[in-house]
Order: sequence, then structure tokens, then C-alpha cells
Amino acid sequence: MNLEELQIKIKTIKEQLKNESIVDSELLQTKYLGKKGSFNDLAKAIGQIDPEQKKEAGKLLNELKIHLTETIEKLEKSPKKASFEDLTAPGVKPKVGHMHPVSQAMEEITQIFERIGFSRARYPEVDWDWYVFESLNMPKSHPARDEWETFFVEAPVDPEKGKVVLTTHTSNGQVREMERLKSKPPIRMINIARCYRRQQDATHTQMFHQFEGLVVDTGINIQHLKGTLDYFAEQFYGPGTKSRIRPFHFQFTEPSFEVDFSCHICNGTGKINEEKCKFCKSGWHEVGGAGMVHPNVLKAGGIDPEKYTGFAFGWGVERTYTLKQGLNIDDIRLLYSGDLRFLEQF
Amino acid sequence: MNILIPHTWLLEHLDTDADPKKIQEYVSLCGPSVERIYDIESDKVYDIEVTTNRVDGMSIRGIAREAAVILQQFGIKAKLKPNNLPQTLRPETEVLPLPKISNDPKLSKRLICVVLKGVQRNPTPEWMAKRLLQTEQNVHDAVIDITNYVTHELGHPCHAFDYDKLMRTGGEINVVEAKAGEKFITLDANEFETVGGEVVFKNGEGDIIDLPSIKGTANTSIDDTTQNVLLLLESIKAEKVRFASMTHAIRTVAAQLMEKNVDPNLAKDVLVRGAQLYQELCNAQIASEIYDDFPGNQPLKPVEVKLETIHEYLGTDAAGKQVLTTQEIISILEQLECTVTSKNQTLIIQPPSFRPDLTIPADIVEEIARIYGYHKLPSVIMDTQIPTEKQKGVNFTLENRIKRFLASIGLQEIYSYSMVSEQIALQTDSLENHLKLQNPLTDDRIYLRKSLIPSLNEILDQNSHISDLSVFEIANVYLPKKNDLPNESLRLSIVSTKPYREVRGILESLLAQFFVTNLQVTQNSDTTGTILVSENDKEIGLGIVTMQSNNRVAIELEFSQLLLILKTHPTYQSIPKTAIVTEDMTFTLPKKIRVGEIMKVMSEVSTLITKVELKDIYNRNYSFAITYHDPKQNIASDDLKPVRKKIVQELEKHQGILVGTV
Repeated sequence: MNLEELQIKIKTIKEQLKNESIVDSELLQTKYLGKKGSFNDLAKAIGQIDPEQKKEAGKLLNELKIHLTETIEKLEKSPKKASFEDLTAPGVKPKVGHMHPVSQAMEEITQIFERIGFSRARYPEVDWDWYVFESLNMPKSHPARDEWETFFVEAPVDPEKGKVVLTTHTSNGQVREMERLKSKPPIRMINIARCYRRQQDATHTQMFHQFEGLVVDTGINIQHLKGTLDYFAEQFYGPGTKSRIRPFHFQFTEPSFEVDFSCHICNGTGKINEEKCKFCKSGWHEVGGAGMVHPNVLKAGGIDPEKYTGFAFGWGVERTYTLKQGLNIDDIRLLYSGDLRFLEQF
Repeated sequence: MNILIPHTWLLEHLDTDADPKKIQEYVSLCGPSVERIYDIESDKVYDIEVTTNRVDGMSIRGIAREAAVILQQFGIKAKLKPNNLPQTLRPETEVLPLPKISNDPKLSKRLICVVLKGVQRNPTPEWMAKRLLQTEQNVHDAVIDITNYVTHELGHPCHAFDYDKLMRTGGEINVVEAKAGEKFITLDANEFETVGGEVVFKNGEGDIIDLPSIKGTANTSIDDTTQNVLLLLESIKAEKVRFASMTHAIRTVAAQLMEKNVDPNLAKDVLVRGAQLYQELCNAQIASEIYDDFPGNQPLKPVEVKLETIHEYLGTDAAGKQVLTTQEIISILEQLECTVTSKNQTLIIQPPSFRPDLTIPADIVEEIARIYGYHKLPSVIMDTQIPTEKQKGVNFTLENRIKRFLASIGLQEIYSYSMVSEQIALQTDSLENHLKLQNPLTDDRIYLRKSLIPSLNEILDQNSHISDLSVFEIANVYLPKKNDLPNESLRLSIVSTKPYREVRGILESLLAQFFVTNLQVTQNSDTTGTILVSENDKEIGLGIVTMQSNNRVAIELEFSQLLLILKTHPTYQSIPKTAIVTEDMTFTLPKKIRVGEIMKVMSEVSTLITKVELKDIYNRNYSFAITYHDPKQNIASDDLKPVRKKIVQELEKHQGILVGTV
């Protein structure tokens, strides 16, 4: 064999590799670079070459080896040449935990209100009767107090602020927020906290959560409350959800309202395929109370009701959350049961 | 409180062609909430929630009055029918003497009664029985049921005394406050003893002969032998009724109405209507003039409201126009039976006697706005200034980030009750060091907890089928303070079945999320340690870690301390230009060694040492990866010889023996 013949053979091998139908790199490796591969065959033939040309032939062979190695390596790396993978095999998940649904709801509620200028605050869960009732226009032994099944704490009664109670609602934050701001509006607060009432059944737990909004400034009117509620309903339950307010009575707001959100299951019609919607009352869900802050509450917080007006609302986090479409939690006690079979679903 | 209103009964007072569905929809939008419509005894019955300030709505006629105003607003024909009751009653027979009545105007605003003679014990007629059943009231016989029927229809409780029994007790009614320790027996034969201050009727001898506005007493109430009736209505002051009713837990319909300020002006209509029914259904004859002592007959205080205030609450429409004209405002108030005069842009409003809830301008605003229709007002988000002064000492974003991070690395967040059982409380502290509920609902929720860990342990016990479980909670604990509210201290607690080093690793990676990398634990005992970080040469304690006897690791951190150290961003360290060298060294260390302290010693041997990590523990052989770096020049292996020697020397002081050679 002479140098020319060698060059032709090298060219042939290169062509062959270029047009190779085999995709498995291991097989290619064997075919071209293996013991009995094309390269070795050619290398053995080098003995027959004219000694003068041997040096040049060695160089050519070396080039070929590099070329083959690199080409096969490249093929190996190109994705279409990957070896078999059973893609139907199930995944192995990294272990993740779960944020409690109440935390998830609180986070979402906070973010929704923060976008329109509310700031979240935190106030005591164990508080004086003054902040929980009396400053909210509920004198001692007022019948309105019956609605709150109150837990009392064994503690001395303060001559001015009264008994120590577990907060039955987040409204104790109203006068406290006014005090924090030294009675100087503007106020735009959202207060989310644990609350406690002496009752327990499928829709009530001794401990639950409320979120409370409070806005006080000059010129705040009923339209602003409606606007805020509509905004929240759309953000929390999705586009198209409406809110409505109906007359109600609370001692600490005047006028007072009951707040309903339109049912997203029947689209507020109260009917699914001509049948009564089982999830709502005639197309609406009652979620909680709201109202224009009572002048006596503003006064208790040192704010002049002649100059300022405001609105407030307070609802259960659990109730608001469980109305989410498709959630289907039928017993809110599950939330505080600590049952992982429940919690791991969130 | 709720009231049941049968549709056909309502139509006796309301002239309308609205169907029940429309009545439900419109009345709910502008007045009391019609929560449900039931089909009872082949009629629609409305279940209506009446708020505590609107006791005037607690009757058929009261609802008819509201509905009339509201339905008209929706363009539906509706009118309150006149009640067509006579102004007075005249004796029809030989007059029976009235008891000698002595009222105290401070205790009762009105006392009105009439004597009915020859009352026959007829059964309750079918039409009345049907309505009582529809409104969930018991049916007895006509003599008894008439009082419940007229109360439901017109809204003022009344009481039928057995006239002859009353006269036998002396024929006297004295309205007085009871002293403590006086006994009385109610008509359903329950015995009570006064605490003092209850308003009672007494006879001349001082015996209690009625608990007015709450319940009758056995000594004067109707029984099988009753022939003559004294039909009586009184108007005991609301707070007095509430006091007695709550004190003795006698929560009759009468008490629940009268404690909410029923209009005493209703009393005469109820008396006359009641007497008519006794005539019709029991063949009774009026046997006296009406006795009517009405010291509380005073108009309510007028309310002055600036028109400006009304417009302020209502806002304006999109074009900046006021929502209602003055004429429209006055018209709404007049439909609600207020008398309105206006002067200098101010309305002076005289509420009708049945609306004592109208006392301040905001009350008037509510009436105008609801009748106009809240649904007709625009929805607008306020364009006023956004407050910037945030509350100090809270960081909700951080709380949420911590929750999210822990959950994403495999921990489950828990919400457990703030109140715990005696047994759980004792795991943290003695009972007297806990706050205790005065009126717990259940035995397992009595004490306000001082640590979250026992609650989390309970959760782990409950889920014992899961062998590898780590849970956490962020919540307050309640630390009692003398003569003050407790200190509510926010805690982050973790309880885990994982080995200690893994749990500590969770904590370390949590802190690293917030650019804190120098967590240390000082050992306090075999199984407890204090978690701290050093900052500016100061040690900041974060909390406690405990290796529990159940092999779980428990950590409780003080959230306020975390707030002090967690950062929002790191301090950038320039990327090293010289080589970083990492070498391993293995030492055999004695039993019960505190390897954290050993590593601290090692890291302090030379300024070239930038990091000491524990790679592996095998039996008592501890392998460390030691990282060296000199920012000025590359380190040669020979440079490290003296450092390595020094490490060995230092560890020898702690009985550490090098494995291999340096």
C-alpha cells in the first residue's frame, strides 16, 4: 500500500462514518475504534508502507483517530443519539411539605389588600373588654353582646378597661389602630388574627381567624366600601364575582351591612340546569359584616367624627376561603385537626 | 333574632300583588333579610332575620310596614292596611272592679289592662292553630293562645292573668324592684329566688305575683278553673327586663322582645285586638273600662341632620352629581313615617314612636341609603392618601417567606389551638403560671399555652403512622403579666422525627435564606441547647433546641429575635483571585465530645482557615474538611504545614488524636 491508497481508505472510512445509520455510540466505538475496528485494520496495514512514507502515514492515521473519536463523541452528546430511557416510569418527587390552607388564604388576602394601599397590623388576641366591646359602642350588658360567645380569662378586672377576654373578633384592632396612629387619619388597615368564640360544630371552631379592614379619612363614603368589596371579590374568587351589601345591624357601624358575594358555582343565578343551586342562597353567599364606622367608635379612638368618616369590615378567613370554587371542605374543624391526610392536600 | 311570617297572614296587613319570591328578594335588599321561604300548612312562610335594633320588625304588622315602603321603591304596588281597631273598649256587662294598681314610672313606661268576664275554655280555632303551627308556637286552647297570637301579629307581649286568683291575692298590683332572696314560682312550676333589682309585681303583702315582661307566676296565672281574665300589658324598662331575664336564664319570647325596647304605644292596639279575640273565640264580655297609665308617653328626641352629611355618606355619581335630591330624601323619610322639617340645609327629623333606634345622623343616613337601595350606589375605590406609617415589630412578609421555605423543603405547617388541656399545660410550666379560662367550653381547651411544642408533639402522636414527619407552627404563646394583659410572644417551633443534625440543617438553611450563616448551639445539658448567632461580637439568643425522650427534636424560636438578625440581602464578598485549598483531616475524639466547640477551636487556629466543615463521623473518627484561603497570594502546601500542626496541637488539648499524619 502506498500513501495515496492509504488516503483513499481514510476518506472511505470517514464517508462511511458520516453516513452511518447506527446511532448507538457504543456500537460505533466498537465498529471504528474497537480491536477489530476499521481503524485498527488500517493501522495494521501500515507495516506494508514504504519506510520513507511511514512517518507521513502515521500522521494521517493519527488524524483519522482524532477525527473518529471526536465524531463519535459528538454523536454521543447530541440528544437524538441518547440511549433508551423508560419515559413511562413514574417520577421520584423531592419531599415537600405544605403551607397550612389558612396561611395560604391569609397570604392571598393580605396581598390583595396591600395592592390598594392597606397595611397589615397585628393586635392582641387576649384583650381588654374595652377594646373588644365597650369602645365599639357596646356598653356592658348590652343585648348585642349575646351574639358573641365570649371566653373570659381568670385575671383581675382593670378599673378602666374591664375584664380580660379572648378576642371574639378582630374589631378590637379598630380603636387600637386609631391609637397607634395617634388619632391621625388616613387609616387603611388590614388586621388578620386568631379569634375565639365559645361554640363548636361543623361550621364553628372555638378558635378561628378573621380579617378586618378599617379605612378612615375625610370623605370616605359607602361607595368606597362597595368598591373595596367588589375589588376583593374579583381578586379572591375570580373575574365576574360580584359583591352586594344589604342592611344589617352592628353596634360599631352605622349604617351596617351584611356582605354577600355572588356564587361562582351557579354564576349568581341560584340555579344549575333549572335546579336550585345547593351551594348558595339564591345566587349569593353571605360572608360577613361591614359598615360605616360608628361616630362613637371614632370618638373612642380620639378621632373627630364631624371631620372624618370611615368604613370597616370583618369576616372569617375560613368561611371566605372555603367558598373557593371546587374546594368542598364541609367541616372546618378539619383545619385545626392536625390530620396530615387533610393537610397534605394543600 | 328570626321571625316566621306566613304569607297569607302578612297579606292581612299588607296590600300588594308582589309574589313571595319578589317579596323575599326586595325586602332582603333594603330591609330585614328574608333568609328562607318554607312551605308549611299549604302556605309560604318567610323566615326573616330581624336585627336587635329593629324590634319593631318582630311582628306581622312590623314586617308589613317595612315591606310596603320597600316594595313601592321597586315600583310594586304595596300599602300597609289600616288596622281598623276601635279607639277604646266599653264594659258590656256588670262591671268587675279593676285591681288596685300602683306603677312606678321609673320601672314601667306604661301599664294598661282590661277585665274580661265569662271566658270559655274553647279550643283554639283551626285558622289560629294553623298560624301558630306555621310560626312554630305551641297550640293549647284559645284562652292561652290568643296572647301569643296577638303578640306575634302586633309585636307587644301581653299577659292574661286569672282575674279571680289575682283578686284573691289581695287585688293589688304594685310595680316594684325585688329585694334579694324573695321566692317566686313561675307558671310552669319552677322555683326561683330573686337576687335583688328584678322588677316584679307584688300584692299588698309583698308577695311576688308576676315577673312582668318575662313570665307569669303560678299564683296568678291561668289554669283549668279560670273564668275571668285580666288582660294586661306593661312596659318594663328594657335594661331591667334584660337583667332579670339573663340573671335567671328565663329567655321567653316576651323577655327577648321587651329587652329591646318595644314601643309602648303598641300596647293599646294589642289590648284591644286581644279583647276582641276573647270576645270572638271565648265568648268573653268586656267587664271594665280600659285602665291605662302611660307615664312614658313622650315623643322620641328629634334628630338633626345636615344635608351635607347625607351627601357625604352617599357620595356622588360618576358625573359628580348628588345621588338624591332633598325632596327625594324627605320623601323616603316620610314613607318611613318620620316627620321632617327643614331649616338652613338641615333636616329635623321626628322619628315615629316605634323607631327608638333613630338617634344620630348616621342612623338617618342608613334609612335613606337602604330604602334608596345600596345596590344602586356606584362602587369606587378610594383615591385618598395611602398611609405610610407602618406598624413596628411585625414583618408579615418574613413570616410568610419562612412558612413557604419550610414547607418547600418538606415540613408541614400546623395550626393548633391556643388553649390546651391541663396535661398539656403541665408539660411547659406549672398550672398557676398559665392563664386560665373562666368559662372553658371543653376540658381540652382550658389554659393559654406557653409553648407550641407540646401541641406539635400531639400532632405527631396523632399521625404516628408517618415515620418521617417534621411539622412547624408560627403562633403566639401567652406569658402572664401581673395586672396586665399577657405578653403575646410570637414563636416559630419545629418538631421533627429526623435526626438532630438534619433538623439543625433545616434551621441552618432557613437562616441562610436570610443571609445568616453563623448559627451556633451551646450545649446546656445532655439534651438541651441554646440556639444563637453572633453579630458584632454580641451573641443573640434565638431559642432552645431539645432532644426529646421520644427521639424527636424540638426547636422553639422567639420570632422577635429572628427579626433582629434576618437580613433582606447579603454583603457581597469579592470573588477570590487566589486559589482556595480544601484539605481533609480526621481525628479520633472522646465520647460525649461537643464537636461544635472543637470546630470552633479549629477555625480559630489561623486566619488562613476560612471554613471548617464536618464531613463524616465514623465510630468516634470525625473527618473535617478545612478550607484555607489567602486573598493576597496562592497558598502552597508547605505554607500549611505549621497550620496543620497547630490544629493537631489544639485538638490534643481536647483529647483529639489525629488519624494518619500531617
